[in-house]
Amino acid sequence: MECRAVINSLSDFLDSQNIWISDDEVKQIETHLTNCPACQNLKLELSEIKTAARELPLHTPPRAMWTRITNVIEAEISAENAPLHQTKNVSGWWGRLKSRKFTFSLPQLAAGGALTSALIIAGISGIFVPHSGTLDFVGLQNALLLPDEGEIKAQLERRMDAVNARKANWDSQRRAEFEQRMIKIDESLNRCRYMLKDNPKDAVHQEMVRALYSEKRQLLEDVERLRW
Amino acid sequence: MSFVVVTALAHSASAQAFSRSFSVPPETSELEVVNQEGTIKVTAGANTAKIIINARYNENAAKIGAMQNAQGKVKVEVTGQGTVDFEITVPASSDLDLLSYKGAIVVTNLAGEVRARITDGNIQIAGLRSHRVEAHSTQGNVSFSGEVLPSGSYTLKSYSGRVDATLPANADFKLSAASFRGGMDLGAFQMKYDKQTHQLVEGSHGAGRASVSLWTQEGSIHLHRKP
Repeated sequence: MECRAVINSLSDFLDSQNIWISDDEVKQIETHLTNCPACQNLKLELSEIKTAARELPLHTPPRAMWTRITNVIEAEISAENAPLHQTKNVSGWWGRLKSRKFTFSLPQLAAGGALTSALIIAGISGIFVPHSGTLDFVGLQNALLLPDEGEIKAQLERRMDAVNARKANWDSQRRAEFEQRMIKIDESLNRCRYMLKDNPKDAVHQEMVRALYSEKRQLLEDVERLRW
Repeated sequence: MSFVVVTALAHSASAQAFSRSFSVPPETSELEVVNQEGTIKVTAGANTAKIIINARYNENAAKIGAMQNAQGKVKVEVTGQGTVDFEITVPASSDLDLLSYKGAIVVTNLAGEVRARITDGNIQIAGLRSHRVEAHSTQGNVSFSGEVLPSGSYTLKSYSGRVDATLPANADFKLSAASFRGGMDLGAFQMKYDKQTHQLVEGSHGAGRASVSLWTQEGSIHLHRKP
């Protein structure tokens, strides 16, 4: 398998579900990665981007937002299908979308990702802040809700960086398990931080947030002691 | 009958054994075990000056190393991948530091400090008479049964599993119990509560001399009284 083909499939390959590429292709990519340091480095960088993206908090948009998105999609589908179909055909447009072949260079992908993130952040800020006045999700991510939270986060990031640098050498199952655990803890952490932001002096949620940071730290310490 | 014999032969052909023993100072012995996958069972042995390590593992890429430093501390470490099951006997007063990524940790009838950590699996600690216990599983249950010594410290934690503590009826302790989503059952003791919410309970039993801390994010907490 050539580098170009591996690069094109790398994002799908890193998806733990691997639902877009065949088992055979997975094996070919794995073989290529063991022999190609350049692609290995690229894989590591993409893994770090994915991990960093997972650090972002998960938010559930309000029902009204989904309705607006659905309306826009349905309007576009209707316009596109009007001459051919009288009824909406979700699997049709999805099927066509899936069947189209997109080829992007890595800089294009990175720029696209950055633009998408910026749009999401801007969208979330624009949608939530004016209506609620208090729900600032981007602010929540950056807010320091404990007196020493900045230091806690910095320490965790340093450890996480060290682990990420080694993760490419791990067995794929271990890597997937580690990442899934981190994601679960992050989800709990986001829930607790969200509640703490609403009531910053709540000692219970302060303790919960501390305990969850401690849980993340413990997972990272385990990896160090286990010499992964 | 023949099936049993064939099975036994097949097992003996694939299983490997590891055995080491170390002479240790009886009152101050220390043992550290770092395992990747498998069970770590540690119990008090009849010999008060020996740590005896037995392990079984299938043919795989796991390597077991065991060494003793100048202070007498014994360290056993598994590197690589594969399942290794340990059965270890130590002097009752030994201090333990046990880590396994996946499997189980079982500690019985000891009196030294116990630190047990597992990412994916259960921790079971029973018959202890120790003044310091820390047991922490990320994805598994944690259970403790033993004495509560004055000024002792007992911390049991699990991110997503259940936490059980079985303490003597006359235990004298200060309790902090926190469960974010799983609920708590602390009814076995008549406690004097300082704080009581759905997620966090702080209180004491007796004069509150020892410290008992129970935490789980997703699981439940159960405090039992030893019959």
